[in-house]
Amino acid sequence: MSRVVGIDLGTTNSLVAFVKDGAPVVIRDKSGDALVPSVVSIGEDRTIYVGREAQRLLLTHPTRSVYSVKRFMGRSADDVKGEARMFPFRVGTGASDTVVRIGLGEQEFTPPEISAFILRELKRRAEEFFGAQGEIDPDVDRAVITVPAYFNDAQRTATRDAGRIAGLEVLRIINEPTAASLAYGLDKRHTGLIAVYDLGGGTFDISILRVEDGVFQVLATNGDTHLGGDDIDYLMTERVLADLKASGMDTASPEAVQAIRKAVIQAKWDLSDREDTDIVAEIPGTGRSYKQHITRAEFEQIIRPLVDRTLGPCRQALEDAGLAPSQVDEIVLVGGSTRIPLVRRLVGELFGKTPHSELNPDEVVALGAAVQADILVTGNREMLLLDVTPLSLGIETMGGVTSKIIMRNSTIPATGGEMFTTGVDNQTAVDIHVVQGERELVADNRSLARFKLRGIPPMPAGLPRVQVKFQIDANGILSVTAAELRTGIEQAIEVKPSYGLTDEQVEQMLVDSFEHAEADFAARLLIEARNEAESVITATEKSLRTPEFAEIAATELAAGEQKRIEQALAGLKHVMTSPNREAIQQWTHALNDATRHLAEIMMNRSVQAALSGKSVDQV
Amino acid sequence: MTPEVTTPIVQICRTCGGGAPVDVHFCPQCTKILTLGRQGDYFSFLGLPRKLRIDAAELERNFRALSRQFHPDYFYNAPPAERRASLERTSYLNDAYRTLKQPISRIAYLLEREGMGTVSAEREAGAAAQVPPALLEEVFALNEELDEVRSLRAAGTPDAEWKARLERARTPIDTKRDEHERQLEQLSDRWDAAVDGNAAAQERRKILESLRDRMLERNYINNLLAGIERELST
Repeated sequence: MSRVVGIDLGTTNSLVAFVKDGAPVVIRDKSGDALVPSVVSIGEDRTIYVGREAQRLLLTHPTRSVYSVKRFMGRSADDVKGEARMFPFRVGTGASDTVVRIGLGEQEFTPPEISAFILRELKRRAEEFFGAQGEIDPDVDRAVITVPAYFNDAQRTATRDAGRIAGLEVLRIINEPTAASLAYGLDKRHTGLIAVYDLGGGTFDISILRVEDGVFQVLATNGDTHLGGDDIDYLMTERVLADLKASGMDTASPEAVQAIRKAVIQAKWDLSDREDTDIVAEIPGTGRSYKQHITRAEFEQIIRPLVDRTLGPCRQALEDAGLAPSQVDEIVLVGGSTRIPLVRRLVGELFGKTPHSELNPDEVVALGAAVQADILVTGNREMLLLDVTPLSLGIETMGGVTSKIIMRNSTIPATGGEMFTTGVDNQTAVDIHVVQGERELVADNRSLARFKLRGIPPMPAGLPRVQVKFQIDANGILSVTAAELRTGIEQAIEVKPSYGLTDEQVEQMLVDSFEHAEADFAARLLIEARNEAESVITATEKSLRTPEFAEIAATELAAGEQKRIEQALAGLKHVMTSPNREAIQQWTHALNDATRHLAEIMMNRSVQAALSGKSVDQV
Repeated sequence: MTPEVTTPIVQICRTCGGGAPVDVHFCPQCTKILTLGRQGDYFSFLGLPRKLRIDAAELERNFRALSRQFHPDYFYNAPPAERRASLERTSYLNDAYRTLKQPISRIAYLLEREGMGTVSAEREAGAAAQVPPALLEEVFALNEELDEVRSLRAAGTPDAEWKARLERARTPIDTKRDEHERQLEQLSDRWDAAVDGNAAAQERRKILESLRDRMLERNYINNLLAGIERELST
């Protein structure tokens, strides 16, 4: 029996998990890394690279690489005009009212196709893992994929299309915060009201749930599908670029922008555990470097407006659930951006409680997706997820006004109906425009699809009674059926998704996708060696940057030890980009050896710190 | 308890062809989930009496218990007909739950089931509804006030001044709305007493008519208040 998995298809990172003996676990690569960076790069020979290798290629070949593709899912070229300037790749070619296309090397792809490359890599990673476990049938052909709760129908459909293009049967699309709550509910059989605050790379969600008798019922959800860590990185990058310009170094080459982006992301991470740090970047092609000291307070001042934007949706969700902030029993933090101390503080203030985050905020969504996949295939009835539709569904009526058919925060699956008739004698077709959103005017809402009801029997105007039924399924995806009540004739419905792909297009893309070579076996081994080298380099550099390093070097390290570390580090960095796998492995080994003692010291110190922290609490 | 049921309504199981009583979800013969065809109403589907004061905890409990019985998550591997039945039954359950949860939508639903027509606020919003007789006085006064406020604004009067006036004009409407909420609660109690006491059809009809009138007035009041909000935010 082939395996089923849960996939968190994130803006910045993606993960795959499965249920083993009743408990969900994430699948890691050989260097122990669970995160696959959601970056896709294309070689001159059309080889597709995904993950860490693509992330490295983003620095050297920014125009052949794409990241944050999730922000473009289910959107038209028109929609993304404002945002396109944030990214180094070509965005928004093609007609303005069709699905957006993104340039990757010489070619162009739709966002579902690029997402499919990421999904295919996750599928491959899982299959390799199951194969190594000695499974008879390690194939992975079915998955639950998560999406932001606030994703609309077009964005959900685009995600499901991506799964199909990657050769996966998408068992279910589930919401990220809800998946997270499922993962949290496992070890604790708790009852109560939970708020899940999910700030990821590109999206923000807040969901309020009631958990009782193993039923996870979402009461209300809200969010912003274009707000996340990306926006912080962009803001910081812009500041550095302006800084450089002011100092007479006006360089905005794609390579320079990526080097700066990498540096500000590193500084952002540093400031989650430290009060200050330096933004350090070598500017490619100029032989110059940039260095700027930044304190946590300064950083917080810059990003405060972005974090504040998450609080409005929180209040709205609470109001929709009919709750005061203080009634919420627990707050769960999800998404890498919730590591930022300012985010924790503001969320804590809003709810008047300390949010908790026992589980890794990067992994918890994939774990929940795996649990849901397991429920679906095994019929395990211990738990049940009851989710809601995040946005009201409506149709266009006279004067471009929206008439709501299914209200937001309705538990799904849900249905709604509307009666239509004809305006002129013997009219045999009626046009219906379906939109999603809370605004009064159709133009301010999201256009989902236009339907043409055909085959209405010729009758005097106003006499036909066409009952149109809207069904939102458990994925939050809409389908429409119609029947003329006087004759009982089922109507043919022609669907034209506003910014989506047709079934035929998806099928064609599945076929086309096989034309793209994936890196071959030898190339994969090299990539794996580089991935491992990179994780050792990152860990070493982090140790060297910690404020207490100077003191450790002076008191605890042996003579010459620091020098040996620095030499091994430089050596590994030097061979990293070469195609010589053995050299990379040897230097990785050397750096590992050189840092073993330092790693032990750091580990002991953090254990000591944790223990002393605990004893303070207990006093 | 509910004497209206004179003819026994049955559903037919599509799997085995056996008959099942209405508002049973699984076939008593073959245990398969029943296709959603003939069912009673939202109240009976959720195992509640057709009353307006419902036990919220009971509603939640029954909703969860039924979700656990036929949610599509548990029918993923079932034959297509059963999957479809599960989707339809769960959709109906969710619609029923949402409708009965809020007192206002509960009243509107009861009126519809009792043949008193549609009183949905959504449907009324667009139509130029007639002024309910009971509100003539307030509407008249408010319209005059709105005209004055508009001319004050056109004449460049400071915002604070005309906005304060508008706020004052809202007070009687707010009072009227609160009064309506109370009346709806009283009428709901009367309806429930009539159901419990097995009251005559004529008596019930009178209660329902009062409920309908109050609901239509309520929609009108809400539209008035929304109109004031719009003026305030311009």
